Amino acid sequence: MVNPTASKCAPHSMEALAKSAVDQAMARGADAADARIVRCAEERLVIQNDALRESDAPEDFGIALRVFKDGAAGFAAAPGPYSAMKDSVGGLVRRCLASARDLAPLRRVPMRLAGRADGCGEYRTPVKEDPFTVSLEEKLGLLMNASERLGGRREVVSSLAGMSLRREEQWMVTSEGGSTHQVLVRSGGRIEAVARARGVVERRSYPNALEGDFRSGGFEVVRALDLEGNAERVRDEAIALCHADVCPPGERTLILGGGQLALQIHESVGHPTELDRVLGEERDLAGGSFAGTSDPGSLEYGAECVSFVADSTVAGGLDTRGWDDDGVESGRFDIVRDGQLCGFQSGRISAGRAGAAASRSVSRAEGWYAPPIDRITNVSLAPGHGSLEDLLAETEDGAIFADTIKTWSIDQERRNFQFTCEVAWEIRGGRRARLLRLPTYQGSTLDFWKRCDRVAGPEEWRLWGVVNCGKGNPMQVAEMSHGAAPARFRGVRFVDIASRLP
Amino acid sequence: MALLEEDHAFEIADAVLAASDADETEVTINCVEDRFVRFGHEGPTQSADRERYDLAVRVRFRDGEGYREARASAASLDEASVLGALGRAEILARVASPDEAAVPLGGPVEVEGSAPSRPTQDHSFKEKAEWIEAALVRCEAESLHGGGLARTTVTSRSIVNSAGRRVHGATSRAEFSLTCADGGADAETIGGSASATSVRCFVDQVDVDAVIEDAVTSAVRARGADDLDAAPMDVLLEPQAVAALLTFTCGLGFGARSFHEGSSFLTGRAGERVFSEQVSIADDPAHADLRGLRFDGEGSPRRNHPLVSSGTAHGPVTDAAWARRLDLPNTGHAQAQPSTAGPSASHLVMAEGRFSREELLERLGDGLLVRQLHYVNVVEPRDLVLTGMTRGGVFRVNGGEVGGAVGNLRFTQSLVQALGAVDGVGDRATRVGSLMGGELVAPAILIRGFQFTSKARS
Repeated sequence: MVNPTASKCAPHSMEALAKSAVDQAMARGADAADARIVRCAEERLVIQNDALRESDAPEDFGIALRVFKDGAAGFAAAPGPYSAMKDSVGGLVRRCLASARDLAPLRRVPMRLAGRADGCGEYRTPVKEDPFTVSLEEKLGLLMNASERLGGRREVVSSLAGMSLRREEQWMVTSEGGSTHQVLVRSGGRIEAVARARGVVERRSYPNALEGDFRSGGFEVVRALDLEGNAERVRDEAIALCHADVCPPGERTLILGGGQLALQIHESVGHPTELDRVLGEERDLAGGSFAGTSDPGSLEYGAECVSFVADSTVAGGLDTRGWDDDGVESGRFDIVRDGQLCGFQSGRISAGRAGAAASRSVSRAEGWYAPPIDRITNVSLAPGHGSLEDLLAETEDGAIFADTIKTWSIDQERRNFQFTCEVAWEIRGGRRARLLRLPTYQGSTLDFWKRCDRVAGPEEWRLWGVVNCGKGNPMQVAEMSHGAAPARFRGVRFVDIASRLP
Repeated sequence: MALLEEDHAFEIADAVLAASDADETEVTINCVEDRFVRFGHEGPTQSADRERYDLAVRVRFRDGEGYREARASAASLDEASVLGALGRAEILARVASPDEAAVPLGGPVEVEGSAPSRPTQDHSFKEKAEWIEAALVRCEAESLHGGGLARTTVTSRSIVNSAGRRVHGATSRAEFSLTCADGGADAETIGGSASATSVRCFVDQVDVDAVIEDAVTSAVRARGADDLDAAPMDVLLEPQAVAALLTFTCGLGFGARSFHEGSSFLTGRAGERVFSEQVSIADDPAHADLRGLRFDGEGSPRRNHPLVSSGTAHGPVTDAAWARRLDLPNTGHAQAQPSTAGPSASHLVMAEGRFSREELLERLGDGLLVRQLHYVNVVEPRDLVLTGMTRGGVFRVNGGEVGGAVGNLRFTQSLVQALGAVDGVGDRATRVGSLMGGELVAPAILIRGFQFTSKARS
């Protein structure tokens, strides 16, 4: 095990330091202020081709101060350790106030913070098994066992088994009396096989592509993934994909697995309902939204069987915590209910701009180094009924069941998307039949969700973790989860990929 | 805080080397000073005045089976944090499986030093506010919603290892970008919009007026876009659009790992003609518009390295381990080690051609002028089949004349085939970035038969 550097200061010292920064800012004329001290420890282990190729234990520690003055915000941040942060507080206060004063004359409309940030207390991720106390030998053994089962076939040109474990501790103090302490732990991992045959190279991943799958929680999350038990299947599917036909173009029924649906939800529901995007404040890089501020209550977002819930309290969510980085208590609210758009995800600043009474607690920053912005929280598709096997059995021959993201692209207003999955099967006789590669479907967000005619039930529903959501300018990375059960969509357009290959 | 001077950084690194029990140790210290103001049409939305350190320790224990290796890092430079990182790296490395393919750390090298630009480092919020106010006033005069970023950053990196390698360098970067669009939901799909950016090495090179003029006039011109059905079309891609495509060649195309795995278009084709003979691409950290560090993540020197010359591909870029594995020279393209990602070209420069903008438009004849591409991603790596959207103004070109705007389109196109269909390269290259990261130097290019496959509004 690699124990994170022990804090040399009692927690109340951190709280006192944050409070000191806020008090000094207020004493020097700030209208409002908040300070966050964030300490993050991570352990990343990746075995590639049966050898440990990535073995990293980064730590991050620093203080951020944000002030509001004359309708503008100033933000300054400095690294630890405690003594350095303590020495830097006076400078941070001066720099925050100076930048806010310089920028205030540019504000056409003064910033207004919606609601209050006066919560006090502590939140800790429920952890059954502290990931930093499990021995390194056990962790490496778990990965090596999975890695060995990914190999053994000459077609496999690369295999990978990895895990990442993270603990983030944060102290936050606000000028409105808020004082919170949070300890957030998340764990997860993945396996991946890359195979080559017949001049084709294909990848198969488990439990999800990209970084894998993660949940808030301890090492029990990694154990539950059963990487070893899925390795041979992943290897064999990677090889089989090299021999599979490319998914044919045309209009067909599509059933998406939960992992792919998580990405679909993320891109076509999560981002377009972030209020800062709706207000046009993300347009300079990632883009805006097709949705407008007057759309809640009137915009038909999807079919009646489609409902999306935002929930920063759900067990296991990567954005499950006590408070956001504005200091606002976590909560649960509807984004789309029975197909109708109900509301947006907002922080205090965007909610203030929109004239709302309070934020939805989605304001988050990447560590101590960045100012908070509106971020997707845990947004999930509500389950319907029945099992995946029921869904397949009730679907006509020629339909496609596809899962696991391979590539994704969506326009700057979150309307036109095109996604390619790692794997697909043609449905015949109510079952998965012919294996297909490069299934690529294209659609328009509202039209696509209106084509949904069935969502599988709670027995198929689970959270999928996203750990690489980039947003902001300069870009920040955030984590969140999306719950989904497989769902069926009628008349989906599949793109002709075969003709574009050599 | 200031960036660490070379001597100070080496002193900290030497203390780590002295405390290390490992057979080989490498210390990398990164420092960043960053100031930015982000703005929307109502004024500044976020700003930051910030600095950070990142000290990474890579340790290696050697036995008969190879190197056992690991890394740990800290964001503070005090003794406890630094030694804590060393301790964590040693614990990890001792239990690591041995890597037979690892090569010994490289010894002393000569690299060209560099220092941060003082005016860039000192550029204030007040000065950034002047840039932003000018942009907002101009946008408001045209009833456009403006938003963008004013940013100055200086960085330094020092690498010291137990084999005697000691390298240090600094970079500076200044940016002003402006995106303007008609207000309201769906503004970019139904209204006029455009963006422009100036990313330079030094703050006094940033041409704020040109950015504002380009973005505003293009957004006004983009209003009233016609609906256009997707189909293969000849296109003139502006440098921002070219960058969004070329960035995918850095690791997936030119990197040794994908080359070896067979997922690169280079696999089996080194020495062959892969693109139009009008296409030449190099990796050049010394280019005047990039001025990158002259050493890679292992401290190995990096120089101007040709990747494609007149359409003919050279071999992949390598790092120390991949060079030995493939029996190729080390081209100095290592990421921070140890890493599973493999080497990557990170200072791409596409060579300028011989056509002025007017000549390119004339040569295009009838087609589309595309300013920017958005959210480009890889469908299939072997032939670099990419998909993405146009953004920030797409205009008809009729008989070489730029005409009215059309709605945004999605493309699904093999980059290898597209670069094989280049029929003209502009005579002015510029530094540009893309949403998916990375910056490179590219000119405008004319491509025949670009594959548009759907439109934003269906």
